[in-house]
Amino acid sequence: MGLLEATTGAFALLWSGDAALWQIVWVSVKTTLSGLVLATPPAVVLGYLIAMHRFPGRRIVVWLAQAALSLPTVLIGLLLYLMLSRRGPLGDLGWLFSQPGIIAGQCLIGLPVLLAFTLAAVQALDPRYAETALAHGASPLRVMFSVLHEARYGVMAAVISGFGRVISEVGCALMVGGNIEGHTRTITTAIALETSKGEFAQGIALGIVLVTLALAMNGVLVLLQGEAHNPGARL
Amino acid sequence: MTPLLSVHALHKRHGERLLFDIPRLDIAAGAAYVLTGANGSGKSTLLRMLGGLERCTRCSVEFDGLRQPLYPYPRQLRQALVYVHQHPIMFSTSVGHNIAYGLLARGADRRLLRGLVDEAMTWAGVTHLRDNDPARLSGGEKQRVALARARVLQPRLLLLDEPTANLDGAAREQVIALIPTLIDQGASVIMACHDRELINLPGMQRLKLRDGHLEVR
Repeated sequence: MGLLEATTGAFALLWSGDAALWQIVWVSVKTTLSGLVLATPPAVVLGYLIAMHRFPGRRIVVWLAQAALSLPTVLIGLLLYLMLSRRGPLGDLGWLFSQPGIIAGQCLIGLPVLLAFTLAAVQALDPRYAETALAHGASPLRVMFSVLHEARYGVMAAVISGFGRVISEVGCALMVGGNIEGHTRTITTAIALETSKGEFAQGIALGIVLVTLALAMNGVLVLLQGEAHNPGARL
Repeated sequence: MTPLLSVHALHKRHGERLLFDIPRLDIAAGAAYVLTGANGSGKSTLLRMLGGLERCTRCSVEFDGLRQPLYPYPRQLRQALVYVHQHPIMFSTSVGHNIAYGLLARGADRRLLRGLVDEAMTWAGVTHLRDNDPARLSGGEKQRVALARARVLQPRLLLLDEPTANLDGAAREQVIALIPTLIDQGASVIMACHDRELINLPGMQRLKLRDGHLEVR
């Protein structure tokens, strides 16, 4: 099958409203957004705390957080598989080959990205923001909200990057989810499967949906970010 | 007369170097002080320590008859003191929200908030800037908004770090004109500064930092 033929077939599939295809899309969107929603608050708070506090071993924590960005998703999948398998410490949860298992994996994959980017954004912020909040009687919680508000473009960049890493990963979803049709088959695991079967039209159709989703999600986040203020000269 | 604030045995080290060795410093209620000294003598650091933004090696303070360490910073002092940066920074909300920031942080009654903010803005001459983007303010406007943001909290002691630095002409005059009104309203003020006009304001007492020691003049 040629590329042109496969692409035409992909569009035909998309327009036909193929139920199996849209089920895969729904599983992907649901697990990715759930993983992001669960991972973002703790990662942002942790990133903020590490950026704002000096404590023994801080540099080691920063080093580990940044190194975790490079962890292959299959390795995270393998570790999670061992944890969730029947004999593993979390086997009783019954999450292996289920959507909660994929969501747990997406959380673990998204956490380091969200944490490292938030840490960098808060560290780069002028320390006078936190000092001004403190000097005017703000509680530690209010100082945190004020600082994160000022670092919101960086925090949004963290969420955008986290989304990108989570929606595009294939290794962990394949190992922990098991690629079960109608249940744990995600866009990326389906593309891998369809390609191995020679069903290129289905793979390309899913690829088009994936790119569209990425564009839509990033568009929403860019709108939320608003116009980043830059009082400096524009080149 | 009992001082508003007494600082005892204020020491600060940076490695082997002793930055401050101040056995005692008394700040009277309603009094104004200028803190002078050469560049790098530690004027800003001293103000930041008093404002709870920097740690001291060992030090205690007496405030409202209660003696306690300066670190961790006592809650009473946090409520009574406000420190204003040499180059104040504005939260990226609006000028009005910036001035209300401390009141909101302290849980002020929202029914009173608007009136207090209005009054502070009128005092600083920034009423017309209420809804403006603070990033678009000039240096002088920023300094006046910062003074209004501090004054609205009715602090008992204001710590101002070079309030007229990098200002000239009308902007500088406007800021200088605000300082005596702060003192007239009963607040004590300590200002780190080089500005002759501020130093020579009536009633100013001089504190001079030299080689880590404080001379009271």
